[in-house]
Amino acid sequence: MAAQLQFRDVTLGYDRHPAVHHLDGEVASGALLAIVGPNGAGKSTLFRGIVGILRPLAGSILTGELDVHDIAYLPQTVDIDRSFPISVFDFVGTGLWRSIGFFGGMGKAARDKIAQALASVGLNGFENRPIGTLSGGQMQRMLFARVLLQDARLIVLDEPFNAIDARTSADLLALVRRWHAEKRTVLAALHDMELVRATFPETLLLARGPVAWGATAEVLTAENLLEARRMCEAFDESAAACAVDDVPSRAA
Amino acid sequence: MVYSVMIYDALIAPFTEFEFMRRALAAVVALALGGAPIGVFLMLRRMSLVGDAMAHAILPGAAIGFLLSGLNLFAMTTGGLIAGFTVAILAGVVARTTELKEDASLATFYLASLALGVTIVSIKGTNIDLLHVLFGNILAMDDQTLLVITFNATITLIVLAVIYRPLVIESVDPVFLRTVSRAGAPAHLAFLALVVINLVNGFQALGTLLAVGLMILPAGIARFWSRDITGMICIAVISAIVSGYAGLVLSFQTKVPSGPAIILVAALLYVGSVLFGSVSGLFRQMFPGRHLEA
Amino acid sequence: MRRFQLWLIFLLLVTSAAPARAQDRLNVVASFSILGDFVRNVGGERVSVTTLVGPDGDVHVYTPAPADAKKIADAKLVVINGLGLEGWLPRLVQSSGGKATMVTASQGITPLKIGSDADPHAWQSVANARIYVADIRDALVAADPAGAEAYRANAERYLAKLDALDREVREAVAQIPQARRKVISTHDAFGYFASAYGIEFIAPQGVSTESEVSARDIARIITEVRAAKIPAVFLENISDDRLMRRISTETGARVGGTLFSDSLTGEKGDAPTYIDMVRHNIKALTSALTN
Repeated sequence: MAAQLQFRDVTLGYDRHPAVHHLDGEVASGALLAIVGPNGAGKSTLFRGIVGILRPLAGSILTGELDVHDIAYLPQTVDIDRSFPISVFDFVGTGLWRSIGFFGGMGKAARDKIAQALASVGLNGFENRPIGTLSGGQMQRMLFARVLLQDARLIVLDEPFNAIDARTSADLLALVRRWHAEKRTVLAALHDMELVRATFPETLLLARGPVAWGATAEVLTAENLLEARRMCEAFDESAAACAVDDVPSRAA
Repeated sequence: MVYSVMIYDALIAPFTEFEFMRRALAAVVALALGGAPIGVFLMLRRMSLVGDAMAHAILPGAAIGFLLSGLNLFAMTTGGLIAGFTVAILAGVVARTTELKEDASLATFYLASLALGVTIVSIKGTNIDLLHVLFGNILAMDDQTLLVITFNATITLIVLAVIYRPLVIESVDPVFLRTVSRAGAPAHLAFLALVVINLVNGFQALGTLLAVGLMILPAGIARFWSRDITGMICIAVISAIVSGYAGLVLSFQTKVPSGPAIILVAALLYVGSVLFGSVSGLFRQMFPGRHLEA
Repeated sequence: MRRFQLWLIFLLLVTSAAPARAQDRLNVVASFSILGDFVRNVGGERVSVTTLVGPDGDVHVYTPAPADAKKIADAKLVVINGLGLEGWLPRLVQSSGGKATMVTASQGITPLKIGSDADPHAWQSVANARIYVADIRDALVAADPAGAEAYRANAERYLAKLDALDREVREAVAQIPQARRKVISTHDAFGYFASAYGIEFIAPQGVSTESEVSARDIARIITEVRAAKIPAVFLENISDDRLMRRISTETGARVGGTLFSDSLTGEKGDAPTYIDMVRHNIKALTSALTN
């Protein structure tokens, strides 16, 4: 299968401190990959690098024939201005940006799609509500609906099931399986190991650097998890420049 | 019978009798159409104080225009526009590419600009308060000035229509826009350019108080009557026009100067909205009425 | 012994010459250009005059610079108009910490009132200008008694010129038909001129350029111009002229030219001295009002 994503010895971080250190590997097209690791392992940072918000400190991330703007990204919700006067319907509607652009009219077809997306996440009836009135879980479902509308080949979900009750989780998981069936590539950062073992065939265990990457059963072993836990979360203020970069890369 | 004549005398006659009143009204309508929507976005992006900052930031441009051509309004306004654009764009670029946020970025640039402006004026040696001369009066609308503000309003509405979607998305969820489009940065810069054009031309035609006031106060009023941005823009434009009209009538009947009169009316409408507005007005909050079934 | 005497003589010569060399000119600071002109005319070679608000400046809304504080600190005499014209001055003098004597040139003038405030533009009447000159002369004599004769002589000559100017103005006004002696200008700067020479001045802005106009004021002026068939409106060198031009367009009154009220112009302008200023004004007025 063709590679959808390629990590070429990539290091991502802030202020020269690496949050993701020397990651190498490939994500096949159509893969369903879970990314797990302790807090501060670099999962969100990696996603920001994939969608193009963060530039790598070293190495590169290749997205195949995909334009970086063809990726659907569901971040953790912090950056959204909830006091902005926009309705759920209009907010979710922005997911159709790639097809409507600046001026496209929101014809009947578009409006139907939006209504359908809202129904798939269980938010029918919420069309006219201002986004500021939604609960955390409803917000998350709204963002899922937007991802649905984006119709992207690569979908990147950052802790998508935080603050969601079990029933909604199950509904949203069904959507994830649907995407996988539609041969889209899905990456999700998750904390719930049970969920990962049950749904995701492939896992990357990340603790700043890659600890293990492969079939879920082989990755989520006790020793791997122990090693990951030993990762130091804080940046070392007195660290020297990374020496590994001077050695010719071992990954051929 | 007599009452209708009185009302006519008070509300309509001033405009039929005097051309300067008609022109002032036209200016107010143009200002409302161009400035009020910009004001709504400014308020939502937490840039409400940018108007005052800009009034000072344009000084070096006006000063250089004055140095080159004396008290020539066209030269000083062009200089002011260039200075305003420079400050706005530099501030915008710095805010997007570094950790510094919009408000701090703008503050630092406008202060530097103001200092530069004062220095330039002092070196030249005259004491004329350049800004005092540059800022005009709504009762003195000549053909050229009216043309400029109408042109402004038209350009603003057109550009705003084009960048409306990306501007809205960028305001509510900037990360999302960055991941789906490259339009975010240009839309933002275009918006800043509109802000500068409206402000500088507003100052030159009408003075700071009116130019900034008719941008920000109507936005504040609209906040209390609508939960949707399109609705807010409409209400802002309407309240700007109403304030302008009522303010001109007030200035006609009393000794209150025209600019402050218009802003005072807008402020009254604002206070009324804070108290009785249907969206988080104080009265509504204190007496919400019986709750609904579902 | 010879040597010692020579040295003594040399010393005496040097010490007697020293006061002559140390006799610098008297440092005087005038608040604005018109006062500066008066001081120069009375003081002549014996004074060195610096003006705070220079040519084409607006003394109502002036904001002083640190350099101005320095000028005041170095001065022996500070000549001001008073009557509320220089609102920014008291604090400047305080902060400059100089030991200059303040002279109010308008001392002895009965001020006209506008509402409850005094109208500061007293110099517009040439008779008042004479009082200004007298006050300045007396102040200079007090500060520099050695030059008293020179000051008195200079003042004599200048007062004679002012008398001639006053006659000129009266003759010119006499040529304007009684019914046409009405003028619109931008701010109420010509009250004293009006009361001294019998021309009526109407202005939208009040006594200071700092105030703003209301629509009612403009409407009144337009109505008055139409009713009284006032032939001309005048601009000023320190205000935005768009308002005047609007009134002119709407009433059909001509723009009669620029009047100089609160400030002289530069060397190349039309009113570099007080006498030039008054002459220019009266010429503009008569030419606009007499056809």
